[in-house]
Amino acid sequence: MLTDKDIILKIKNGEIDYFSFIVKKFTPSIYGLISKKISKKEDVEDLVQNIFISFYKAIERFDTNKPIKPYLYRIVQNELKMFYRSRKITFSLNEEAFINENTLLVNDDYKNYLNILSNQQKKIFIYIMEGYGYEEISKKIKKPVNTIKSIVRRARIKIKDIYEQTRG
Amino acid sequence: MNKLEDKIINRIYKLETKKTFSYMLSRVFFIFLFIFLFFVFTSVTVDILNEQRSFDLLVFFRDDFEVMKKYFTSNLMDFFQEMPQPLTLVSLITLAVLSIAVFMLIRNFNKIKNKLISIYKFYKKL
Repeated sequence: MLTDKDIILKIKNGEIDYFSFIVKKFTPSIYGLISKKISKKEDVEDLVQNIFISFYKAIERFDTNKPIKPYLYRIVQNELKMFYRSRKITFSLNEEAFINENTLLVNDDYKNYLNILSNQQKKIFIYIMEGYGYEEISKKIKKPVNTIKSIVRRARIKIKDIYEQTRG
Repeated sequence: MNKLEDKIINRIYKLETKKTFSYMLSRVFFIFLFIFLFFVFTSVTVDILNEQRSFDLLVFFRDDFEVMKKYFTSNLMDFFQEMPQPLTLVSLITLAVLSIAVFMLIRNFNKIKNKLISIYKFYKKL
């Protein structure tokens, strides 16, 4: 049974067919992680492909003594950042206080908290999770951008309160 | 999921095929270019030395050991002084670059061979 280290060493030695082991091993988890954050299937598949290509390109520099998974997840984070940036998302989940980088209460936990929001807030948050910017949402809901912003701010505060109560 | 995995592997192979072939072509081109340059610079240097009859200075190598010993240093010094310095330097640099390129190719030979085998196996399977 080949370990991840053996596989990486073989790929570094030019035996690129071994990359399929890595693809088969990590695709389901990465796909699952990204599909929690992005709902569009095509975008998820594109991102997963880009992640593996980025990893393949970086494999020469990859330290074989380190595990693959954290490295891949770092690429996932970067790809997601680039994806959101390309979609010109004006709101950053990190900008509000309830987002703590260590707890990663991003889209994973968002879905659990959607139930406590009003219908309008829920609708806006779903648009945000799908990658729409404030201006796009304002056109869809037919409300001014500033109103959308304040609805989002109020919803965040609501989520933050509940989050703090539940996590102590 | 299998479809996605196949897509990823396909893209990896496409990328690697492009990369490996461009690497090989560039190396081969580079090596042939430097072989050609080395040949040109060396032949010009030899022509100049022939015209100057500088090679006569090395005739003493055919003589006895005692004669060789006597004239070795002085004749070689004269010979080197008569050599066209810039051209000789350029030839040596070309030779050095060529050696490095060949060495790099030999060092990576196993890796390139493995890559080519993998690529061949993949496209044969399709």
